[in-house]
Amino acid sequence: MKRYLYDGTPEGLVSAIAGILDAEKDPQLATLVERQDTLFEEGLFLRTDPAAADSLFSRLRQCAPDAVHTLWYFMMSEAEELETSLLHYVALALEHGDRINGHLTHPDVKAIVSVARKAGRELHRMKGLLRFEQLRDGTYLARMEPDHNVIQPLAKHFSRRLRAQQWFIYDVRRHSAAHWDGSALQFGTLEQFSRPELSDEEREVQVMWKAFFRTIAIPERRNPRLQKSNMPAKYWKYLTEKQGE
Amino acid sequence: MEIHEKLDILSGAARYDASCASSGCGREGSAIRVGNTSQGGICHSWSDDGRCISLLKLLLSNDCRYDCAYCVNRSSNPVPRASFTAREVVDLTMDFYRRNYIEGLFLSSAVMQGPDQTMEEMVRVVEMLRIEEKFGGYIHLKVIPGSSPELVRRAGLAADRISVNIELPSSESLHRLAPQKRKESILEPMKLIGTEIGTSLVERTLSRKAPKFAPAGQSTQMIIGASPETDLQILRLSQGLYRRMNLKRVYYSAFVPVNEDNRLPVLASPPLLREHRLYQADWLLRFYGFSAEEILSDAAPDLDESFDPKTAWALRHPEFFPVEVNRADYATLLRVPGIGVASAKRIIAARRFSLITPEGMKKIGVVMKRAKYFITCSGRPFEKPDREPSRLRQRLLLGDGSEPVQPRQLVLFA
Ligand code: SF4
Repeated sequence: MKRYLYDGTPEGLVSAIAGILDAEKDPQLATLVERQDTLFEEGLFLRTDPAAADSLFSRLRQCAPDAVHTLWYFMMSEAEELETSLLHYVALALEHGDRINGHLTHPDVKAIVSVARKAGRELHRMKGLLRFEQLRDGTYLARMEPDHNVIQPLAKHFSRRLRAQQWFIYDVRRHSAAHWDGSALQFGTLEQFSRPELSDEEREVQVMWKAFFRTIAIPERRNPRLQKSNMPAKYWKYLTEKQGE
Repeated sequence: MEIHEKLDILSGAARYDASCASSGCGREGSAIRVGNTSQGGICHSWSDDGRCISLLKLLLSNDCRYDCAYCVNRSSNPVPRASFTAREVVDLTMDFYRRNYIEGLFLSSAVMQGPDQTMEEMVRVVEMLRIEEKFGGYIHLKVIPGSSPELVRRAGLAADRISVNIELPSSESLHRLAPQKRKESILEPMKLIGTEIGTSLVERTLSRKAPKFAPAGQSTQMIIGASPETDLQILRLSQGLYRRMNLKRVYYSAFVPVNEDNRLPVLASPPLLREHRLYQADWLLRFYGFSAEEILSDAAPDLDESFDPKTAWALRHPEFFPVEVNRADYATLLRVPGIGVASAKRIIAARRFSLITPEGMKKIGVVMKRAKYFITCSGRPFEKPDREPSRLRQRLLLGDGSEPVQPRQLVLFA
């Protein structure tokens, strides 16, 4: 059982996996963990090598495009301590192709696929629950605090959907932001953030939306529990319709 | 009248319409378009009754000339009346869409001066959205019974989905409760839409530029519990609509008594459990290869209240079980209570690699609560092979094998 270490970054992780796949006859016998920088830590440290990571990605894209998706979603989850499972999953994907995602009786496949599924579910959820607010200068701002790091694919989704307006998406927890200027998408981080003032039109539209939200519910069928199970309370903070209830 | 007041009246009046599906058609946003539609359908919020909000659901007007017994907006009811202008609906839709409140618009209407005048106005809204605003989001448009074919065609060219409500499960009931609507005025537009969708699909295989006609298909809706039809009659009707008219969905809407009328039954509460069972049976028709006659019979024409329709079928057919999960084909797996489309697919994917063990069933995410009574894994049963029907009924009812109770039914029926 050979133990490897990497630097804790996503690129480092992928490039370490590439390195192990290169070096090991049977990668299922190897383990991979994040380096803790303690004295006498056992294991071989693999330096981040972007070229190796890239070439692993293109190999995977060739033989298992679905597994690449799973890998993307897995990365969004920022999950810890699953590096070894990911290593084994990637090795299996290279061997079996996309069928691997059906091999749910394998513990490592199961672990990776479930984490990725959860991230995918939240991404889908955020596509519906994100709320844009119009600011004084006419641009729109959406704030969120998702569990998974979904800003990249989420912003891509909105760059197709809301392409005729300028907007920002801001991940309050991770201080990361996406900006669409009407033609291109940019990502960055914001160290300081204060919420700009809303436009007058925005206030009016919010009133209408809240009114719609209230009247569309059938009073005879009131069911706050079902509402909460479909739309967990952790998302309410930024939902226009849930403000001032 | 202020727009707020109109919104109050005209979204309140639209809320009984059950259709919330905005899925079924993928449309790419192009450079100039505002918006796209998404293959899976997106819920944007959940209202206080727990239902998904994905579309801005409105009536263009509730000022009706007709007098359908079951409807709040019937002409003989003293309710406040309002009508939107086309511009108002267009602006609301765009304002909501830009903020990501909605996937698009669902527009219906009461019959104002007449079917054609009303339909013309509704089509105008949709054409303004598509042409002036270059709106690429989802649009579901109701067709007013009795609208002229020309207007139905324009509606289909602009909207993603169009639907004509069948309203009630039989023409006698329609005649009794909605005397101004004739069966033909509903069925004819339905047929026309079916044909146009078919033609457009064929033309689009020949040329990508051929216009799309209602790319998300046609659906309809009927009210459950306002008239005496049995569940078997209802399912037969739905089956016919799916098979012969190529409908995408039939929606069932539990009758909510809003009027006093001696033509209507008196109900303590809307028949939600019945509605729920009908939706389950409808799934069996559409995705599980069941026929209406397998689900119900003339001897037992109504759905069981205690069991979902698939479990009820399984209990009547002990000879079909147990099903061996490592050998059974997809269609057979789908017949097992507790195994849905997703689980059946997972089982088939997983057994490519190795035989599935009981442990493995759990790992791949099959919920065993009900399934365990009906399957074997490599010949091994999960439960003691006691499949004597009445005892099995008991265990399913009392034990943990019963289906999870829908929260909304808990509130109403507990
Ligand atoms: S035509 Fe429609 S709006 Fe008018 S009374 Fe009948 S169901 Fe109600």
